[in-house]
Amino acid sequence: MASQQKFSHKLQRTAGKIQQNRYMSAISNGLMSTLPFLIIGAFATLFSALAWEPYQNFIAPVKGMIGLASTMTTGIIAVYAVFFIAYRLAQTFDKDPLIPAATSLLSFLIVTPVQSFDTVRALPLQWLGAQGLFVAMIVGLLASRLYIWFVDRNWTIKMPDGVPPTVVKTFSGLIPAILVALLFVIVAGLFMQTSFGTIHDFIYTYLQVPLEGLGGSLGALIAAVLIMQVLWMFGIHGAIVTLAIVKPIWMSLDLTNLEAFQAGAPLPNIIGMAFWSLFCNYAPMLGFTLLLVFMAKSKQLRTIGKLGLPGSFFSIHEPLIFGIPVVLNPVLAIPFVMAPIICAVLGYFATTIGLLPAPIGIYPPFGTPIFALGFLEGSWKLAVAQLVLIPISMLIYYPFFRTLDKQALNKELEAQEKLEQEQTGGTTASPVIS
Amino acid sequence: MKQITLVCAAGMSTSMLVQKMLKAAQSQNLEVEIRATSESSFKEYADKTDILLIGPQVGYLEADFKAKYESKGIKVSVINTMDYGMMNGEKVLADALAL
Repeated sequence: MASQQKFSHKLQRTAGKIQQNRYMSAISNGLMSTLPFLIIGAFATLFSALAWEPYQNFIAPVKGMIGLASTMTTGIIAVYAVFFIAYRLAQTFDKDPLIPAATSLLSFLIVTPVQSFDTVRALPLQWLGAQGLFVAMIVGLLASRLYIWFVDRNWTIKMPDGVPPTVVKTFSGLIPAILVALLFVIVAGLFMQTSFGTIHDFIYTYLQVPLEGLGGSLGALIAAVLIMQVLWMFGIHGAIVTLAIVKPIWMSLDLTNLEAFQAGAPLPNIIGMAFWSLFCNYAPMLGFTLLLVFMAKSKQLRTIGKLGLPGSFFSIHEPLIFGIPVVLNPVLAIPFVMAPIICAVLGYFATTIGLLPAPIGIYPPFGTPIFALGFLEGSWKLAVAQLVLIPISMLIYYPFFRTLDKQALNKELEAQEKLEQEQTGGTTASPVIS
Repeated sequence: MKQITLVCAAGMSTSMLVQKMLKAAQSQNLEVEIRATSESSFKEYADKTDILLIGPQVGYLEADFKAKYESKGIKVSVINTMDYGMMNGEKVLADALAL
């Protein structure tokens, strides 16, 4: 037990280090901050691309206008991402985040090529959306960090006393901002000398595509879920720790799908945040909870089941994980780890054989109920699939649930016997029947 | 009035516990303000917090939060896992106020 606790503490520390790493958390929280815009874009996409002919005919005159709301949100999500990631990073240094965030946005735009078409000069939307997301993450972190580094070295303009603080603030940011901008001008210039032309082409080809290939595979999903569930087994929030690493990749996969969906093209990716949430995050625990509520003979388990049931519909599982507990419970280790993996594999194959459509890649807002999420991801089929996985999860959990229930029931009976013995005087323990 | 802030990953499961704690406070006529938030946005509530309770699933944040906020007079504690699981608002509230 002591060694188990030691291991648990070690794991806690490691998890903390990963999740609290300022650069990881800046990316993660920065991407989270884009959520309002992602949601606006997602709904605009749904409303403009809903494949139902009478509806399409009806909205035909305003379709372009509805599309604007998604083009200017999910379509240029890298612009929002670079700002918010830089903002979040500056916050971790306890610096006023506004100027470094804006400077990062400037840096991102500097390295994004302006293209000329006849009389029109334009920023290519191609690099402002999902395809520019990795550059946004890199530039967001780099520009913001450099800005702070310059500020910390005091490479700033000092104002005499008596100058209003707002003015002081503006000027103190001036030199760091100029230096950062200059650096990125040089970066942009250097890339122009290469065959890539821009940093976007380079990062997309050599970083984003390979990482997406890796992160978008079934193996990566299984590995991520495995780590998540094992962390939960040790009482650590597995999802936020694991997602700190895979979310950037999964989100860009999802956004690529969403762009394709809006363009009416086939969806290129299966795995992403949306897929994970759809198939791993609801049914496994919901199935287990239903077993507890309807089939447990142990009063304690039934009580916890009832307590956890409402949350389970919204993928909130903490009451169960700590109440039963799942944490450090050898009986539940196998189904708790395996159920979401089996659900993911089933979902993956159902998608590859064409039984289910790929999710359209709307970022799954935390707390969306099961079934509703399926619809949000583009199809009633996904909603139904979410429900179909519930009885499957119940089957996976059932044998382990029986053992758990027996253990809990025995404990309850023992406690009750003890209580009865105490009530009848305690000494007359011999169960002799004359 | 005591102000208690609970944090977890997204402030979802702790907000369930907050409901139970508020009920317990009401039945005991205690004047407390209780809220839940995500660990990443706790900073915004630090000035309005006397007691910071950490969800056990992000218990690894304890050392960090203690280092940052104990000097500001905020009491920091990780919620007991069993009480958390059973959503025992009364007990969590009593434990928090006894810190």
